[in-house]
Amino acid sequence: MGHEKATDLCGLKPDIVVTKEKGNIMACINRYLKTTFRALALGGSIVITGAAAASELTVARAVDADSLDPHKASTTQSLQGTSAIFDTLLTMGADGSIHPGLASAWEVSQDGLTYTFTIRDGIKCHDGTTFDAAAAKASFDRALDPTTLNPNVSAWGPIKSTEANGNHVVVKLSERYGPFTSFLTSIQAGFICPASVADKEFKPIGTGPFKLESWVRNDRIVLTANDAYVNQNPLVENPGRPYIDKVTLKVIPEAVARMAALRAGEVDIVEPSLEEAADLKQDSAYKVYSADLSGQQVLAAFTGRIPPLDNPEIRKAIGMAMNKQAYADIAFEGLVSTANCTVAPNLFGIDQGLCAKWGVHYDPEAAKAIMAKAGYTPEHPLKVDLLVHKLPGWDQMHQIMQQDLAAIGVEADIQTREVAAFFDFMTQTNLKTDIKPAVWTMGMSGVDPDYMYFLWKRPGFVNMGINEQLDQILTEQRALTGEARAKKIQEGDRYLLENAYAVPLLSPGWNWLMASSAKIEGFKLGWMVSLIFNDVRVSD
Amino acid sequence: MPAIIAKRVLTALLTVLAVIVLAGILIHFVPGDPVTAMMAQSVSATPEAMAEMRSRLGLDLPVWEQVVRYVLDVVQGDFGRTIRGNEPVAHLLLLRLPNTFILAVSGLAVALVIGVPLGFVAALNRGRATDAAVMMIAVLGVSVPGFWLGLVLIKIFATDLHWFPVAGSGWRAIILPAMTLGLCYCALIARMTRSALVEILSEDYIRAARAKGLREHEVLLVHALRPALISIVTVLGLVFAYLMGGQVIIENVFSWNGIGRLAIQAMLERDYPMIQGFIVVFASSVVVVTMLIDILYGLLDPRMRKKS
Repeated sequence: MGHEKATDLCGLKPDIVVTKEKGNIMACINRYLKTTFRALALGGSIVITGAAAASELTVARAVDADSLDPHKASTTQSLQGTSAIFDTLLTMGADGSIHPGLASAWEVSQDGLTYTFTIRDGIKCHDGTTFDAAAAKASFDRALDPTTLNPNVSAWGPIKSTEANGNHVVVKLSERYGPFTSFLTSIQAGFICPASVADKEFKPIGTGPFKLESWVRNDRIVLTANDAYVNQNPLVENPGRPYIDKVTLKVIPEAVARMAALRAGEVDIVEPSLEEAADLKQDSAYKVYSADLSGQQVLAAFTGRIPPLDNPEIRKAIGMAMNKQAYADIAFEGLVSTANCTVAPNLFGIDQGLCAKWGVHYDPEAAKAIMAKAGYTPEHPLKVDLLVHKLPGWDQMHQIMQQDLAAIGVEADIQTREVAAFFDFMTQTNLKTDIKPAVWTMGMSGVDPDYMYFLWKRPGFVNMGINEQLDQILTEQRALTGEARAKKIQEGDRYLLENAYAVPLLSPGWNWLMASSAKIEGFKLGWMVSLIFNDVRVSD
Repeated sequence: MPAIIAKRVLTALLTVLAVIVLAGILIHFVPGDPVTAMMAQSVSATPEAMAEMRSRLGLDLPVWEQVVRYVLDVVQGDFGRTIRGNEPVAHLLLLRLPNTFILAVSGLAVALVIGVPLGFVAALNRGRATDAAVMMIAVLGVSVPGFWLGLVLIKIFATDLHWFPVAGSGWRAIILPAMTLGLCYCALIARMTRSALVEILSEDYIRAARAKGLREHEVLLVHALRPALISIVTVLGLVFAYLMGGQVIIENVFSWNGIGRLAIQAMLERDYPMIQGFIVVFASSVVVVTMLIDILYGLLDPRMRKKS
């Protein structure tokens, strides 16, 4: 009786407990504590098994999407989100070949100016409406509308008009645009459903494998499987709906905390730190994924208008001093490859073997001799700035590079800037002709070698354009297709490499690693480090 | 008293206005603008397209015009929309402000609960080993970087013991970040409490209280603590401001979804409306808290009321 009463008092009227004898109170508190601890322990185990439940997946990334609007998103993290929600008109195989997507077929007119896409029948938007040619046209138009402020607007190409005709979308270009079909496969070219823009606020409603359930900015994006999904992406095996029901893209900014969350079982897949990825690779309890199809290329470039870097021999010598194998093996823990072309491997027309013939090779002795002939020795070095921005692996690479350059008589002063400040600074620096010469590094990514055009067609990205001759090659490749275009791209690569305007270093170079616990199967990284969850199964 | 309050409110408003104008000007001195930041990851806009984007965002206007426009908008309650996500800035801030406040207040509570008794003990044992030990803890607290302490706590209590989650929201998730903040800032409070008490304990009226034969705990808790509180309350405003600033890093370590993380992201993206919105809210909250403390100060100290 007393015992029962104590329980009552303990739970409901603690103020009266004071009048009870001391022993009762202690028993009561003890019981309370025990229950609480049991609840706490239970809560803890729920967190752990929650991650292991077969139908849910939690992914921890360093940064959240900046937008889930495929026509506004620019960062890899945003595009990873949009690529799960939205499909593309066309898709790309691992060999760079173009395959159907939302369009089941496409035709190009003889003059190369009119593209006719046949929209596949029966595609459902996440809101249940049908994705038809009119929807595709509307999506085209929105992507191109200057008020959309689409950061990739130029990559869509010189589109003059779009028209929906039955189940066809007819796109007319003002001039030939060779990269058009490959761009339409990229995660920058997601197609939205009309319901997305029905209200004033954009709603991410697409046709992709996952629907957006909720998004708490800087915290989590929750995606649920789209039951009506029919896959077209050649990189995916699962023909229909994703096997998992739910994917949560969580934000854990600190690398150490992300790894702790993976080890504690709070999350299934993480963006690992570079250092820990190398360790995890040795551990059978984890898997490490590296994006082979990143489309990313890391380069060194020069302020080529400033003497003596206007001399190709000096640029070549500096390129010959750069031990890119060491950068890959030491700075990047062996998790990236060296690359020979100015454009990433696997992209259309890119031939690593040919590039190796055209570009410089690591040869510090020969480099030293060239520098000595020009009057620079380790005792009387050429003084340059090494202008860089901060990224994992890059910092160590720049330190090794500094030593490499010192060995041939180039004293490089490393100046590190945060990314936006860096590109702003380079925009100014590349226009100057009377300052201290500089060597600088950068990365770029895409699914088509046409990014050479954005970089080097004058004025070029951050004013890095070079000359009339290169402008012509880069403009001409846009008007060609097939083998002729591949040849032209190689001509551009050859020109850049033989004159040492750029020194290709590595591929990939940023945001390219993911790690998971060993029980995750079927996770893949697609083009431009898109995250492919369609084939993911969680084993026990 | 109403006169003091009116004066304080006016000063606070002017301070916030000055911060808005200053922030608006200073932001343009930071190299790189929203469009450059946007282009940093995927190079697929021609210089003409970038110029077009700048003009649509009004970034080609003279700085003074951009600042004047912004101030006029804010005065009318319009904080604008973010450049990246095109979301209303005020909405994003309001959604996270409670998180930031809860964490700051929890951190402050932990700091007070640990700091005041420590300072008390140190003052009572002035010059003895206990005093030295307490002050050593205080120095340690000030010196240990918050992010490091946070990571150590994660290692022990989340990864090894599984008591708390590594990241997230909710009451279980707030404990570690609040402890980290509290441990870092308790030192400041402990020092302040100690020096205030040491000074007060040598006052004549304490001697008088003891001479009257009052019991020691009455002397300490009634006659010494209340005047000491005034000094503690004064430093509290300072600690709160530090806390809000320091919290930006702690929010990052614990993935706490407060306005600090929003601000870091906005700064990397050079999202001007978002950065300015953050500065306005941040400055306003520090100004408001300082103002409240000033008013509280008047309530605690009768001499202040008489002065006016």
